[in-house]
Amino acid sequence: MPFDPVAYAIPVFVAMILGELIWSRRTGAGHAYEWRDTGTSLAIGLGSTIAGALTGGLTVALLVATHDISPFAIGWVWWAWPLCFVLDDLAYYVFHRSAHRVRWFWASHVNHHSSQHYNLSTALRQSWTGFFALSFIFRLPLALAGFEPGMILVCAGLNLIYQFWIHTEVVKRLPRWFEAVMNTPSHHRVHHAVNARYLDRNYAGTFIVWDRMFGTFAAEDGEDRIRYGIVNQLGTFNLAYAVFHEWLGMARDVWHAPWRHKLSYLWRVPGWSHDGSRETSDMIRQRWQRSRSSQDSQ
Amino acid sequence: MDGVAPQFLGSLLAVAALVALTYIMGFRQAGKLESEAEARELFRLAPGGFEPADLALDHDGAAAIARDEQGRVAVLVPHGNQFVVRPVKGGAAITARGGSLLIADMPRLRLHLGDNARHWVGTRARGWATTDSNANSG
Ligand SMILES: [Zn+2]
Ligand SMILES: [Zn+2]
Repeated sequence: MPFDPVAYAIPVFVAMILGELIWSRRTGAGHAYEWRDTGTSLAIGLGSTIAGALTGGLTVALLVATHDISPFAIGWVWWAWPLCFVLDDLAYYVFHRSAHRVRWFWASHVNHHSSQHYNLSTALRQSWTGFFALSFIFRLPLALAGFEPGMILVCAGLNLIYQFWIHTEVVKRLPRWFEAVMNTPSHHRVHHAVNARYLDRNYAGTFIVWDRMFGTFAAEDGEDRIRYGIVNQLGTFNLAYAVFHEWLGMARDVWHAPWRHKLSYLWRVPGWSHDGSRETSDMIRQRWQRSRSSQDSQ
Repeated sequence: MDGVAPQFLGSLLAVAALVALTYIMGFRQAGKLESEAEARELFRLAPGGFEPADLALDHDGAAAIARDEQGRVAVLVPHGNQFVVRPVKGGAAITARGGSLLIADMPRLRLHLGDNARHWVGTRARGWATTDSNANSG
């Protein structure tokens, strides 16, 4: 494995969680953490490092193979670094948007969202099944564009590290220029919310500009309290269930669906059903808008 | 893979220490619903939507029960210090014992409603359409 910045960041993650725990205790935010939830989140994080160690070599091999067939070779020139980081962040945006809009990718990403808490331990709920879900394909275009595989992986690691600190309710709002360009605790709280107005918004990794550019941005507006998690809350701290439940649910749906609808349960948006018995996030938002406008007219 | 094993062991120790610390620092209180308004807001987040027409809060805020216009019944049950909505099966028997409301297929749930419990006894819960575990994102 090449240099992995995430491994070096782990002690910092631990220290920051410690700091957030103490802060939450002092400020009376007694509900910010729940010990079993923290256990599940950290266990998912730990498991994901194993999954990463097992499949990391394959990811490297795929990036190298893609880079080898590329007609371009950018090499290790200094200016490639910032360019690679920005383009990798764009690739992350595309990956993350797909992770919420295609059930196959959602099955892998859902465990990042299934905590009803939003604290620094939530950040470590990284997927175990990302490689299986083929999430690496989103980074291959960078290798095809000629970026060094090692550079791509370092940028991806730095992006992941950046996203750690924004998983907190301790930081409210940051200076306007920062909120305008960067992904922040405020923006990412929106992303983890189940409130109808916030569903499927703010897919950004490091730069929030992608959401502003592609029309998926929503500002945290403080009108109602944010509730975190997923629409069908897990209601359990069971580790295996948290990691695999959506894969099982999807397999069950494919099994029971009529033949012509089977594939749709893999690639369509989460919540889609062939008989309209469930809701997608767009349907939830529409229902919320209807109930709001009927309340206004009363 | 050199260095992976010690790194894993170190992380495992750190995880165990953090979870223990979270427990020791008291992040293990049960959830508490502050008001009927909060319960109503949480019921509304139920998959498929649920608009309470009638609602009762447990005396300690430890749970809540509600019925909508169509006669469907749902409860809010604690999950750690948060809550989750659970639909009550159509036709599930709802009984009271000494001010506590009991629901047939939720043996662990006890809603302390006092005199109000009688109001809910004999409620014929209408069935919910199948709610599958498939989920949307946050
Ligand atoms: Zn997400
Ligand atoms: Zn997140």
